[in-house]
Amino acid sequence: MNKRLFAFTALFLAAAGLLTAASPPHLAIRGARVFTVSGAVLEHGTVLLKDGLIEAVGEGIAIPAGVTVIDGTGLNVYPGLIDALSAWGIPETVPAAPAAPAAAATPGQGQQQPPPQPRVRGPEDRPNAFTWVKAADLVKPSEKQIETARSAGFTTAVTFPKQGILAGHGAVINLGGETGGEMVLDPAAGLYTSVTTRGFGTFPGSLMGVMAYLRQLWIDAAYYKLAREAYARDPVTNPRPAYDRALEGLLDTHRLLLPATSRVQIERMLRFGAEFKTPFVLYGGQSAYETVSELKRAGVPVILNVKWPLKEKDSDPEEIPSMKTLQLRDKAPTTPVALAAAGVPFAVCSEGLDAPKDVIKALKKSIDLGLKPADAIRALTLSAAEIYGLSGRLGSIEKGKLANLTITKGDLFDDKTTVSMIFVDGKKYVPAPEAPTPPRQGGAKSPEVGQ
Amino acid sequence: MNAARMLIAAALACGVAHAQQAIVLQNATVHTVTKGTFKGSVVIQDGLITDVGAQVLTPAGAKVIDASGKHVIPGIIDCHTHIALDSINEGSVSVSSMVTVRDAIDPESIAIYHDLAGGTTTVNALHGSANAIGGLNVVLKMRWGKDAEGLVMKEAKPGIKFALGENPKRQGQGGQNPFGASLSPRYPGTRMGVEDVIRQAFTEARQYQAAWKDYNSHEAKGESALPPRKDLKLEPLVEVLEGKRLVHAHCYRADEILMLLRVADEFGFKIATLQHVLEGYKVANEIKAHGAGASTFSDWWGYKIEAYDAIPHNAAVLTRKGVLTSLNSDDVGNGDLSTRLNTEAGKTMKYGGLNEEEALALITINPARQLGIDRYVGSIEVGKQADLVVYDKDPLSMYSKVERVYIDGTQYFDREADVAARSRKDAEKKGLMEKEKAKEKSSEKAADKPGDKPAEKQEAKGAKPHQGGSDE
Amino acid sequence: MNRALIASLAFIVVLAATAAPASAEEGGGSFLLKNVTLHPVSGPKLDNASVLVVDGRIAEVGMKVAAPKTKLRVIDGKGLHVWPGMINSGTTVGLSEIGSIRETNDTGELGIFDPQLRPIVALNPESEYIPVVRANGITMAALLPAMPGGRRSDGANTQLIGGQISIAHLAGWTWEEMEVRRAGGMHLSYPAISAVSFDPATFSTRRGSAYPKAKQQHDLQVQELSGFFDDARAYWTAKKAGVAVKADLKFEAMIPVLDGKVPLVAFASHEREIKEAIEFAERQNVKLVLANVIKPRSALELIAKKKIPVILGRTQVGTDEEDDPYDEPYTLPARLNEAGVKFCFGTFDEQFARNLPYQASQGVPFGLPYDAALRSVTLSAAEIWGIDKDYGSIEAGKVADLVVTDGDLLEVKTDVKMLFIRGSEADLETKHTRLYKKYMARP
Repeated sequence: MNKRLFAFTALFLAAAGLLTAASPPHLAIRGARVFTVSGAVLEHGTVLLKDGLIEAVGEGIAIPAGVTVIDGTGLNVYPGLIDALSAWGIPETVPAAPAAPAAAATPGQGQQQPPPQPRVRGPEDRPNAFTWVKAADLVKPSEKQIETARSAGFTTAVTFPKQGILAGHGAVINLGGETGGEMVLDPAAGLYTSVTTRGFGTFPGSLMGVMAYLRQLWIDAAYYKLAREAYARDPVTNPRPAYDRALEGLLDTHRLLLPATSRVQIERMLRFGAEFKTPFVLYGGQSAYETVSELKRAGVPVILNVKWPLKEKDSDPEEIPSMKTLQLRDKAPTTPVALAAAGVPFAVCSEGLDAPKDVIKALKKSIDLGLKPADAIRALTLSAAEIYGLSGRLGSIEKGKLANLTITKGDLFDDKTTVSMIFVDGKKYVPAPEAPTPPRQGGAKSPEVGQ
Repeated sequence: MNAARMLIAAALACGVAHAQQAIVLQNATVHTVTKGTFKGSVVIQDGLITDVGAQVLTPAGAKVIDASGKHVIPGIIDCHTHIALDSINEGSVSVSSMVTVRDAIDPESIAIYHDLAGGTTTVNALHGSANAIGGLNVVLKMRWGKDAEGLVMKEAKPGIKFALGENPKRQGQGGQNPFGASLSPRYPGTRMGVEDVIRQAFTEARQYQAAWKDYNSHEAKGESALPPRKDLKLEPLVEVLEGKRLVHAHCYRADEILMLLRVADEFGFKIATLQHVLEGYKVANEIKAHGAGASTFSDWWGYKIEAYDAIPHNAAVLTRKGVLTSLNSDDVGNGDLSTRLNTEAGKTMKYGGLNEEEALALITINPARQLGIDRYVGSIEVGKQADLVVYDKDPLSMYSKVERVYIDGTQYFDREADVAARSRKDAEKKGLMEKEKAKEKSSEKAADKPGDKPAEKQEAKGAKPHQGGSDE
Repeated sequence: MNRALIASLAFIVVLAATAAPASAEEGGGSFLLKNVTLHPVSGPKLDNASVLVVDGRIAEVGMKVAAPKTKLRVIDGKGLHVWPGMINSGTTVGLSEIGSIRETNDTGELGIFDPQLRPIVALNPESEYIPVVRANGITMAALLPAMPGGRRSDGANTQLIGGQISIAHLAGWTWEEMEVRRAGGMHLSYPAISAVSFDPATFSTRRGSAYPKAKQQHDLQVQELSGFFDDARAYWTAKKAGVAVKADLKFEAMIPVLDGKVPLVAFASHEREIKEAIEFAERQNVKLVLANVIKPRSALELIAKKKIPVILGRTQVGTDEEDDPYDEPYTLPARLNEAGVKFCFGTFDEQFARNLPYQASQGVPFGLPYDAALRSVTLSAAEIWGIDKDYGSIEAGKVADLVVTDGDLLEVKTDVKMLFIRGSEADLETKHTRLYKKYMARP
């Protein structure tokens, strides 16, 4: 493509609002400690940013004239941190999806005694399957949580709608941008699955009901595809399959997120996930320290919930917890250590934590228990990018990758460290002054990892 | 417990790698159940019983265990339980045959260990009774320490749960879910409706079966056609029609028992076991004629109206009238009755006068036959899997207790070791609690330097639990 | 089976078939039971012994007892064993017929404090449970006005004082005839801190959370309870002093408790509430019996030190918590026994009330001496209820509540062959035996 044409195209796209409006400045960060993650740590490194991308990185590289230079002395530069599973950017109340046949309503969710719902007959009613919902359609740059997360050093999040059993498709988003569309890096990050049910009232009302339901849905989706193709081939002899948005959404799934916290759940979901032809990732994973060999064998990555279980604040002082509980509380923070040692890919998420910065604090606990800081950084950056298939664009400080950087004064995991600036798509942000921790969006919700 | 699981897993891994060391249980009272009771020995090799009798040859290198004065019986089989499951009921629909409890196995449930401690080595883990046609079951061996699939007794015939009477019709009254939202009533609400649901389901299953047959014949002729949609709900019912899947039907009253037998006759399949079957004694002839087995309680009665005519002689009457009968626990949670099915069997000697062998058969060979696993377990015979229980005294007596339990020739329970490990386990727990407390204290210190805990003080003041004050 | 035994059994069957329902106040029967193995409980076992019953009371026990008059009924019990009738120290037999049908249940009245309620008046002599329970050798029952464990959604007890505990014989034409003590005890469901919450996310209960709220509820109820006792005492004091008081049935019912004549039977299962209940009873200066003790932990020492008797519930149950030793419910009686605590058993239900003897023998392979097991369901129970002058053992002068068996009373295989209440032979036919015979005979 010749330069002029490129410029013209860019101009045209910009005019059409399809590209980032203002081109970020051409700048250099010089003399900083650069954690490239993909390579060695550069003690006096320079990072050149141009047009929202990393133009160059290295020690002693020349800085072209006219480039804004930031003195990086005393600063640490990391690839922008990634929260691998959140709800950031999605307004709390998802715009009501047009009611699904009979079953779309989730009973018991703060509704005022409506007249009895007609009973769900079974998988054929597609209850609680919101596979047509896409986080990419829902994210709003104005969401307060975005700034809070960015100020804690996060430049990127994988954000998911969270209602029902098949909650919808997550999106990888940058935590900066003028419009929702601008933020989205990948609108098909994966399908979020929950096995939490609400009992007898509606199908599926049990763990095994959910599992049977998912199996039937996958069978139905494959059959739908088959029937659709047959009809396209020969609309005379073959019946016309009825349009089914739940199955359409399912067929678009490239990655499945399955919940598993305890050892038993992890083993169960490894077996279950293998039944589908779709790649899958486990989220939760706090007991994964017990199952590293199984995870390794299965080659399944983990998105680790780092809200380490603690004794509940309002618990009975005389209560003697079960051995299982005590062991989990004792050992959960060692899970990253075990996963890293075994070479099981894992990323981390803020789910259940009060504030995004608590993710870093939680990892610090694991570092104290033997996690190498480099592994902790990798979990926050490149591993997350790899799990979501975006390591070509995200997760490390390399030429050609997005100019997403987190710059701190001091070591990332040091209590006294502060975030000095954040770059998202090459655009610089400074952290908002530390305000009292705002309540987490949907903070009342417990992490949906229980089974 | 997790540590225990790892240890056992390690031990088992070794066992798989090398041939198992032969074991001889010597000079015990051996209750074979099928081949009499005598003073003798049992030889275990590579997980199987390789010899049993008054005189046996001790294989070279065998570990000989002196069992004089002890009693050995086949591992107890519990034909109806809900232990070791993370979910039991898919109660939302009247036909939930698409679900299987195998998905919900919890291999860390302490109930497995409790069963072992009570001599129960094999259980029929069933779906609940919330619907006329329930989910699929799984037969488990209590191989404590293995993962979910490691518990599954793969030799067992697949099965499905049915339920009749009060439980499946309960939701026919509507009501509320646990969150207070009102529920529309779920059909059926009567015993008539329960029959209808089953007939309806099997009518659909027949049509489904026919559709596949039709498709397969077209396919065989090389004609291309769209196959029928695979339906996980109907597939198991077709298997029932084809005799490939056992039906375990929860039932109480004689009328509903007869109804189910006739529906099964109509559709040409057999009921494998009638579960609970509290009024089975009233229709023993009909049950026998159909060929169904019966699995009941020793002496439960009166807890609901359909249990008001239950009698503790049920097992004995059914046995005397030629019905293959077993006793079960119906346990949930931590396990309870399954830890002492031996004395439940003993009660049938009083209620109905069964002899010792007949009583033991109720919890060993009979349930094995009902589950289609009697080739492998249920009695002490050469060639069967070495699932054995060693009691210190007569196993049908209140005064006996289980000392050791073997499954597939591996010892999974040893009372002495259990008792000896208690203080260590207590200490370990205490250690973890102290560690936690210490951590809490250090983080508290870090959090609020003044070290005062005003909240606690206030609470203590506000409580005044023991002040006498009178009503106002 | 020897011939003599067959003959004697045939004789018994004939008698049983013609016996009228045992009744209490008919002066009782007179008979001589000979050639039996006698288990007096108060003393060692006697082989080839006899027991003479005259007008419903035991007149003589021993190896050489002769019939005083020629016309007296003589029962040859060769090969049989004779035991004192067993006492179920907590049951709802006759008060609740079908658990799941409210209309058939007469336990658990409305109200927090109901000391005036007397379960004996709701005892249905025609309940099918009465013969069923009796047929297993149980001659007497402590009737509970309420089941333990009723809780409101906020964790507080639905009831504190459920009513009086009546003691009744398990035979009679009317409840009046069956009555042994109208108020044998006063039921109290001692408030526990029930920090169990429902977690809708996992659809399960969680223990140990929401403690502050549960504690508050508990403290409030304890305060209410103390208040009620104080008010009752004030009423009694005023009455004793001759002050005119407005008659109050609740307070009147409390007077025998405050006076130490009727024990307060406090249901308290775990360490904390056991300790609190003991402290409460001491402060109120009332006689205490603990019921449904499940996991006393360190409170066991206190129970022993204060010599507080205990009514244990069913030992044939699963463990309280996952980490408990698998045999913890089975070893509980042995632990009490070793600590020197006097205990008996209740079943706290009707369905399994007949299995009372097995609650006791379940402890034997787990360390409870046999004699202690036998005593717990007979003499210890009578002592705890303060009726041991008349009941609980086979001794001259005591009421002839006797069980005749073909073997060990506490063994599951054993059959009860005859049963006497106040010396009258009780029918051993039950709904179960009737249906059994009827359907065994079905062609």
